[in-house]
Amino acid sequence: MATRFDELIPLLAQAQVEFIIIGGVAARVHGSARLTEDLDIAYRRTHENIQRIVQALAPYDPYVRGAPRGLPFQWDERTIHNGLNFTLTTTLGSIDLLGEVTGGGTYDDLLPHAVIREFYRQRCLCLDVEMLIRVKRAAGRPKDFEAIAELEAIVEERRLLEDRNPPSQ
Amino acid sequence: MFETAKQLEPDPVIEAYKKDVDRTLIRENLRLSFEERLESLMRLQEFADELQKDLRKNNGNKIR
Repeated sequence: MATRFDELIPLLAQAQVEFIIIGGVAARVHGSARLTEDLDIAYRRTHENIQRIVQALAPYDPYVRGAPRGLPFQWDERTIHNGLNFTLTTTLGSIDLLGEVTGGGTYDDLLPHAVIREFYRQRCLCLDVEMLIRVKRAAGRPKDFEAIAELEAIVEERRLLEDRNPPSQ
Repeated sequence: MFETAKQLEPDPVIEAYKKDVDRTLIRENLRLSFEERLESLMRLQEFADELQKDLRKNNGNKIR
């Protein structure tokens, strides 16, 4: 099932969830051509924010991705407080909620490396391309080598574009 | 807290992978709006889903 980014992202933004889009969707926003299936977000682990996430996603049947149905998984604030990172499936598609990112830290650590991007009539925070590279390098997974190479190529292509079309003073 | 990737040394493994990156696709995407980039991702996902369904169906036919 294709993930409805056009519904999931506005849903979280309208619920005033504090989140930063990371991973493949952030890469896509920066110009990547690679396929990604889920929405990865770093979320702030405050009581209020956890409450907002739980309420926003509750109508969409969040459940542990890949796990058999019938497990004692409760979608509530206590579950999020007791855990940290969650890979979930919902009726809108797959979403990963990350309280901490390898090589990047928490939402507050990532915040200085986030840029505002506007889509679906929402202003959202996306991890910048340089930090995305840093995070993927830190993960050290061979499957990320191609993604890192593409992100570095994006940085180079953007520089070429800026050189050709310098911003007016 | 963290140094940025700009300060990272080039990695010879990544440099090798970079030679195979299709830059025409990147340039094409950079011409799109942020929303258009996400819309094309959803279309790509739908295409990949259809492809997988067809593959499963064809494999099932072969087994029979």
